[in-house]
Amino acid sequence: MEQFSQAMIIGVSLGAQYALLALGFTLIFGILGVVNFSHGGFYMLGGYVAYSCVYHLGLPYPLAVLAAVFATGALGYLFELVLLERVIDDHLSTLMLTLGLYLIVSTAVLLIFGPVSPEFPFPVSGAWRAGPIYVPLENLVVLAVCVCAIAGLYALLFSTDLGRGLRALADDRDVAMAQGMRPKLLFPLAFALATGLAGLTGALVTPILSLSPSVGDPVLATSFLTVILGGLGSLGGAALAAFVVGIVEAYTSVYFGGSVGALVLFILVLVILVFRPTGLLGREIRGA
Amino acid sequence: MAEPVEGALPRSSAGFSWAGFPWAEFAACLVFVAAFAIPSFTRSQLIYSIANQALVGVVAALSVWIMLRMNLLTFATPAFMAIGGYSVAILAPMGVTDAFALTAISFVVPALLALPLGALVLRLRGTYFVLVTYVLSEILQLILFMTPDLTGGSNGISGIPAVTFLGTELVSNRAVLKMACAIGLVACLITAGVTRYFRQHFAAIEENEILAESLGLVIWRYKVIGFVVAAGVAGLAGFSLVNMLLTAHPSSFSSGSAVDFIAYTIIGGRASILGPVVGTGLLVWATNLFGTQGQLAQGMYGVLILAVVLAAKGGITGSIATLFRRVRGAN
Repeated sequence: MEQFSQAMIIGVSLGAQYALLALGFTLIFGILGVVNFSHGGFYMLGGYVAYSCVYHLGLPYPLAVLAAVFATGALGYLFELVLLERVIDDHLSTLMLTLGLYLIVSTAVLLIFGPVSPEFPFPVSGAWRAGPIYVPLENLVVLAVCVCAIAGLYALLFSTDLGRGLRALADDRDVAMAQGMRPKLLFPLAFALATGLAGLTGALVTPILSLSPSVGDPVLATSFLTVILGGLGSLGGAALAAFVVGIVEAYTSVYFGGSVGALVLFILVLVILVFRPTGLLGREIRGA
Repeated sequence: MAEPVEGALPRSSAGFSWAGFPWAEFAACLVFVAAFAIPSFTRSQLIYSIANQALVGVVAALSVWIMLRMNLLTFATPAFMAIGGYSVAILAPMGVTDAFALTAISFVVPALLALPLGALVLRLRGTYFVLVTYVLSEILQLILFMTPDLTGGSNGISGIPAVTFLGTELVSNRAVLKMACAIGLVACLITAGVTRYFRQHFAAIEENEILAESLGLVIWRYKVIGFVVAAGVAGLAGFSLVNMLLTAHPSSFSSGSAVDFIAYTIIGGRASILGPVVGTGLLVWATNLFGTQGQLAQGMYGVLILAVVLAAKGGITGSIATLFRRVRGAN
């Protein structure tokens, strides 16, 4: 029973991290129709920016996390505005551009920081105990920040004019434009928002897991799994699927070993893609 | 579903004209034939190694290119390479070392597996197809790790016996390179044959799949043919790779390597079969130029991908062809 509860806590904690990543990923697809292959790169970059701010600039960790969010958001904004916007309606070209950006970013990080993982521990240590249940404090902090960020994102998308504009563009770009929405203004903002979320996750999670130039690859795979399961472009679906993926991963890791869980998830996603491409809560978007 | 209206897509077979001669396919095959001569000019092990890498890369890129002819971007190439490569690695220790038999096996096994898979995944298009092929590659990686009795698991299969050609063992580096040339030539001929024969069908699917279907073209049939042949060609690349390394290891077939093959094809140019050949040759050569700083290669691929997508959509061969047409037009 103790193991069962512990696995649930790990699963929820993982789910919150995956939700942050998946929301950014699905936001970009839902609004811009772009599959962002550089999403893992922004996660990795967020980790390295936070690390540099703490160890090279001497900033406190919370400020370093903010710096990571702004740096990845700014890079995302510029990338969308300067490059992606030119080919925004060609899905193959946008996919290739994001792939190209990922290769450039990971190579730049590799050149600057080297292939060895830097020492970047989470500033909070210890654990919270309630009877047989044991939760590392770092996981609690990450969970709290993730929940706040997800709530903030929902508030932004559903309670502000900016959010309404972004959702209108996601629903029907032509009608939204006829109503006065300006994609050239809103698309870079949406991209920056999503990459900022990836940067935030990287800054929060890499001190707990690991930081290296290749950490973006598994993150991309997890983001794919989550958004396909939830339905490409569906924010609610992505959040739900993130917790499903986190919990399934935690339980299968505890009871069967890591690879079995991953295989089960991938096969589940394959079946969903083939028979219900719109995922758990998704709907057909942009004829993707 | 009605049979395709063949008359709607006439094949250009009425009489011979040089204008209709498949120059690009001929030139691509000529490259592989010319590669046989490399051992006659040099004994440099470095050149042999680069040539081998390029030949494996070209064959894998040809697999990507076949799918791109139908506007389908695939990340499943490493998965089918693994199936071809592991088929050889499993059968060779059992005594099946004949070059012809192994070439046939490495093509047929992935192609047969692609048949039911294709029937499933080819229902998808665009982004969903990209994602499903990525997932397929990830699943195959996990299966390789989880079946140690068959695939050696994380250790892979090593100590694979050398391929034999008419009873002679192809052990030396020269012989391995010539084998890679032969596999490349076979892959090029298959690719050229299929894409020429179904040229207009693939073009119709690439241009507008729904319109082509409404005109009576049985889309799924041609997509399955393309997918199966692309899987077989990728299997040949897997055989070539395993024959070069004499080892089959999961890391040789990681889903990330699909990015390299896509980069070769896009940068070389997707409009002609020469694109993957030129793109692979150039990028493998450039990667080796960096020598010990090979880590820069991925960044270089990134910059080239951005440049091609934004400035030269046809890739290297497409841009050269456009330039050639402009010069000819000006004259």
